[in-house]
Amino acid sequence: MSKITVPIGPQHPLLKEPLSFLVSLEGEKVTGSVLRLGYVHRGIEKLAEQRTYIQNIYLIERICGICSHIHSTTYCQSVEALLKLEVPKRGLYIRMLLCELERIHSHLLWLGVLAKNIGLNTLFMYAWRDREIVLNIMEEISGGRVSHSVNVIGGVQVNLNESHLSLLQQNLQELNKRVKEILRSIENDRSFQARTQKIGYLSLEDIKRYCVVGPVARASGLDIDIRRDAPYAAYDELNFEVPVMTEGDVWARSILRIHETLQAIRLCVQIINNLPDGPVSITAPRRVPAGEVASRAEAPRGEVFYYVRSDGSQNPARLKIRTPTLTTLITLPGQLKNMQLADVSTIIAGVDLCIACGDR
Amino acid sequence: MNTEKAANKLRDVLNLDKTAIKQIPFNEVKITISKQQLLLAVKTTLKSGIWHLSAITCQQLEDDFILLYHFWKSGGLSLQIRLDEKNPQIDSICPLIPGAEYYEREAREMFGIEFLGLPNPVPLLLPDDWQGGFPMRKKEQTNHDKSEGDDLQQKGKSS
Repeated sequence: MSKITVPIGPQHPLLKEPLSFLVSLEGEKVTGSVLRLGYVHRGIEKLAEQRTYIQNIYLIERICGICSHIHSTTYCQSVEALLKLEVPKRGLYIRMLLCELERIHSHLLWLGVLAKNIGLNTLFMYAWRDREIVLNIMEEISGGRVSHSVNVIGGVQVNLNESHLSLLQQNLQELNKRVKEILRSIENDRSFQARTQKIGYLSLEDIKRYCVVGPVARASGLDIDIRRDAPYAAYDELNFEVPVMTEGDVWARSILRIHETLQAIRLCVQIINNLPDGPVSITAPRRVPAGEVASRAEAPRGEVFYYVRSDGSQNPARLKIRTPTLTTLITLPGQLKNMQLADVSTIIAGVDLCIACGDR
Repeated sequence: MNTEKAANKLRDVLNLDKTAIKQIPFNEVKITISKQQLLLAVKTTLKSGIWHLSAITCQQLEDDFILLYHFWKSGGLSLQIRLDEKNPQIDSICPLIPGAEYYEREAREMFGIEFLGLPNPVPLLLPDDWQGGFPMRKKEQTNHDKSEGDDLQQKGKSS
């Protein structure tokens, strides 16, 4: 059979962000693929060394257009650890609220992208319609739909008032209903199963060997969640479950993410019901004492890792960022191998890539 | 708990003294080892049940390079290695942890660290025809460094 090589990307209707795949085919079967990153590499780690700790909060939020808040949360908690600051409880709760809203928004966005890639346009429209609810809440709280600029070193710079809380109560209830409806409609849907089951399989061994994190790891049976295993902010005071599935294919990843969305809604409700009183932030000194810190948080796509080293000046001496997308990208050539060309789009969408995060 | 045990085991296996182990915030243990000990240290860590490598951080301190291998299992465990600036060479850990490939490739092109045995030593993030040196090294400048704020404004006006 004749062999051909098909370039997918850097610009391709299938991809929402630039990434290059060179897929080798034998007939319709994928025999190998080469991955190339860097089309949205902005050198954020280098730029961060030339900006002050406060300027960096806004730089770091621009790493990603979907999970901007978790980046600034991880960064701020690293710097707060260097400063030995005790952030007020209310500030931490508002941070967590935004984190969980962002998780809902990210998972619904992803579900829409997957649905569109496998040809279920109705599901795409439902998922994105429901995502608007979260975006509106976030806009109401922070003024921004995706970039919130809520975090400051020492807490947050927005406060929640009564009208925010009642808006959240109402909308979260409605959202919970709608997400359950989505789950009900796709769980037993035969065309959805046909397009996603046994596609993009990853075994538990592969997950461990490639150090994969987040929903992709949990869909293959690895029980890992930074929020539960090494609680940051105030996650140890909240009650939630970490869904785990064992099938390891795109179907498991989809169902798992919807369950996670439901858990995130549950967390949001808990947060607003138990919101402590008091200030939302404390004043942080501008100069950060010398030291180093490695901090982790659970982004919508899994563990995000920050390493900050301070030499006592006003800029960080080194800021290392490892995003969860980088861990899933490395598994893609293995997942694509021996698959049909028509399934490539499902697999690429199924791992939930955020190329801007991966490139930084 | 887990990481402390692993740290003690590493200290025994590698014959390190007490000063090599340091606590840093967020329940993270940092262990300083030499570059010859890396593979043995990684094997010992894997045997202790810590298989998740979060990242490899490379940085320049004074004139040398510092590599940090951040492991995690409910708590952090970082292996720190100092590399000489003139000869930044180290064994690749990809045969033990395939997931380290992208981290090593990134450190290779951004800092110029040579990883011996890296399976796929081609550019990952930088363009194929990149000729600008190793961008993350301290002496490499960005456009932001090169021109003062006023210059930038003037450039904006003239163009």
